[in-house]
Parts: sequence; C-alpha cells; structure tokens
Amino acid sequence: MLEMLSTSQFWFDVSKIIVIDLLLSGDNAVVIALACRNLPEAQRKKGIMYGVGGAIGLRIVLTFFAVSLLSLPYLKLVGALLLLWIGIKLILPEDEAHGEGNIRAEAHLWGAIKTIIIADFVMSLDNVLGVAAAAHGSVLLLVFGLLVSIPMIAWSSQLVLKLIDRFAFIIYAGGALLGYVAGEMLVGEALFKALLEGQPYLHWLVPVMCAMFVLAMGWWLAMRKASIVRAVDLVDGRVPAKLDAEL
Amino acid sequence: MKILIPVDGSPNSLRAIEHVIQSVAELKEPPQLMLLNVQWNVAGANVKMFINQQTIDDYYREQGMAALKSARDMLDSDGLPYQYHISVGTPAEAIAQYASEQEVDRIVMGRQGQGGMQSILLGSVVNKVLHQASAPVLLIK
Repeated sequence: MLEMLSTSQFWFDVSKIIVIDLLLSGDNAVVIALACRNLPEAQRKKGIMYGVGGAIGLRIVLTFFAVSLLSLPYLKLVGALLLLWIGIKLILPEDEAHGEGNIRAEAHLWGAIKTIIIADFVMSLDNVLGVAAAAHGSVLLLVFGLLVSIPMIAWSSQLVLKLIDRFAFIIYAGGALLGYVAGEMLVGEALFKALLEGQPYLHWLVPVMCAMFVLAMGWWLAMRKASIVRAVDLVDGRVPAKLDAEL
Repeated sequence: MKILIPVDGSPNSLRAIEHVIQSVAELKEPPQLMLLNVQWNVAGANVKMFINQQTIDDYYREQGMAALKSARDMLDSDGLPYQYHISVGTPAEAIAQYASEQEVDRIVMGRQGQGGMQSILLGSVVNKVLHQASAPVLLIK
C-alpha cells in the first residue's frame, strides 16, 4: 500500500480529486459561510464546526456509496454521461436572479447546522460522483483525496472559493478534467470491454475526446447563453455638505 | 461635475480619493463625488435554495461598507459631501453601468485594485472599465 504513495500516478489521481472537489464545492462553501451569519457571535464558530463536521461525514458516506454503485454494470455508463453534463454545466454561466425566496433565516444553532448539512447533501451529488470517478474505485485514493480537500473547503470558506469559478481559465480546465474523468469511466465500463480489447490507444483517446467534447459544448452553450447580467443596486447613501460650512 | 470613484478598499483606490481631494480646489465648482463599491455576486440559484436573500444582502452590505470605510473617513475628515453606493455584480460591468446611469463626467480610479493573480486571470477591472465606460477615465498611479 505504501509504495503506492511514491508513484506519480497516485499523486496525479489525488490532485484530480482535489481539483474536482474544490471546483464543485463553491456553492457549499458559500452556504457554510452564510448559514451562520444570523447566529449570535458566540455560536457562529460552533455552528460552522458542527455543520462542516456533519457535512464531511455525510460526504464520505455518500462517496463510498457512489464508488460501490459504480462497480455495477451500466452504472458507469450512466455516471460518465452525468459527468459530461456536470462538466458542461461548470462552464456555463449561472443564473443569477436576485429574487426573494421564502426561506427564513435560521437564528438558532441547530437550525444553521441543519441548513449546512442538508445543503451539502443536495449540492454535493455532482461532487461525489466526480470524486468517485477520479478514484477509480481505490479506497485509499478516495480517503486521501477527501481528507485533503474537505478541510480546504471548510476553512477557506471566506467565499474565496466561489470566486475561483469566475476565472474563465480555471473553469474551462475544470470542465476538461471532468470530461477526461468521464471518458476514463466510459472506458472502464464492463459493457465496452470487448470493444476495447487489443486497442490500448482508446484508453487515452476516449478521455481526451470527452474532454474536448465538454470544452466544445460548454463553449458553444456559453456563447448562446451569454447575456449581460445587470448589476443590482443595494445601498445608496448621501453625506451632505456640513451645515456649519454653509452658515 | 460628477466624479465617480470606484472603491475596493485597496491602497490604490485610496490614492484615487487622495487625488480627488487634492484637485477639488482646481475645479470651478465643488464636484459631486460618488463612491461606488461593487460586491461580487457569490450566491447563485443553488445557494438561494438554502439562504434567504436578506441574509445574502446583509453580507454584501457589511462587506461593502467595510470596503468603503477608509475612503469615507478621508472625505469626512475633509468635510467634503459625497454619495456612496454599493452594487452587486461583476465589478467592471457594474462600474460602467453605474457611470452611465448617473451620467458621470469622469471616473477616477487606482491603476490597479485588488490585483495580483486575480487580475492576471480575470483581466483587470481597469482594462474592462476603459473599454466599457463612455465617460473619460483618469487612472491614478
């Protein structure tokens, strides 16, 4: 097991997991940071800590679950197609409607923790699938990758993470990576085993093609969707000239 | 004369304020000063499923007022009247939009804001404002 740590393949796979995890966790990080805002000062740190702890536990369980599901026939095919879509969606600009929701702000510790954990459950499905795919079913890889990346998400959650996905270069690279991982999963699908026999070049050609597919689709859809999002006015204030100056 | 000064709280943006304060005397009439801080929109549709708009806006307001503070202190201590504004969006676009809505006569900004890696990857805010705003832009080194 230990000699695995010294191979470059291992570190390449670990960095894939970390990158995917970071790129797909922006929204989760924002929820973590904002969910505890309405708590009394003293409880905020506690809320973040418990919320993140619960979310980490949940995320690990879900990821293991996904890994074992992916060993079933056909599901790799489904997973790969989903991943292609997740990659394209990463590249597309988000809808940023400035609407009034009807969610009430949680002013209690347990409410905030609940919000963090439920949000993480709902929003980490893409993430879990990506990480599971990048791990190729290796538990060691999976645990190592999650252990490194989850604390990064939790404690750098000063909303900086969300900004990562504003960098056009990073999201395109991330989309390509997700496409590549989807391709690897496709190649690993038991259904296609016979097709791949004797054609080892397909093991890199398919992932590369998938990466290019995500880039092309993402770029094309982003172009079509490109619309100017108006800035929203939030605060307007005025400091008048001092009266005594006029007198 | 309406002068718009985008402020992100960085030393460079404060130099723009300094410049404006110093040049007020050169103007025939006291100018109408407008401070603008833009907060990145960090909450997409996903986040809004879990966090209500008011909490998100409170966050923007807090961050925005903190970014405006030093600039406001400088103007306050000189007793200059001004307006301040916080909007949410993409900085360069929001600056250009506000400038045209308010029909400002001039935009004064630091040559570089919260730069570094961010400006390399995003393209600097200054560059985009130069292209998108119709008002003349004065850059302060």
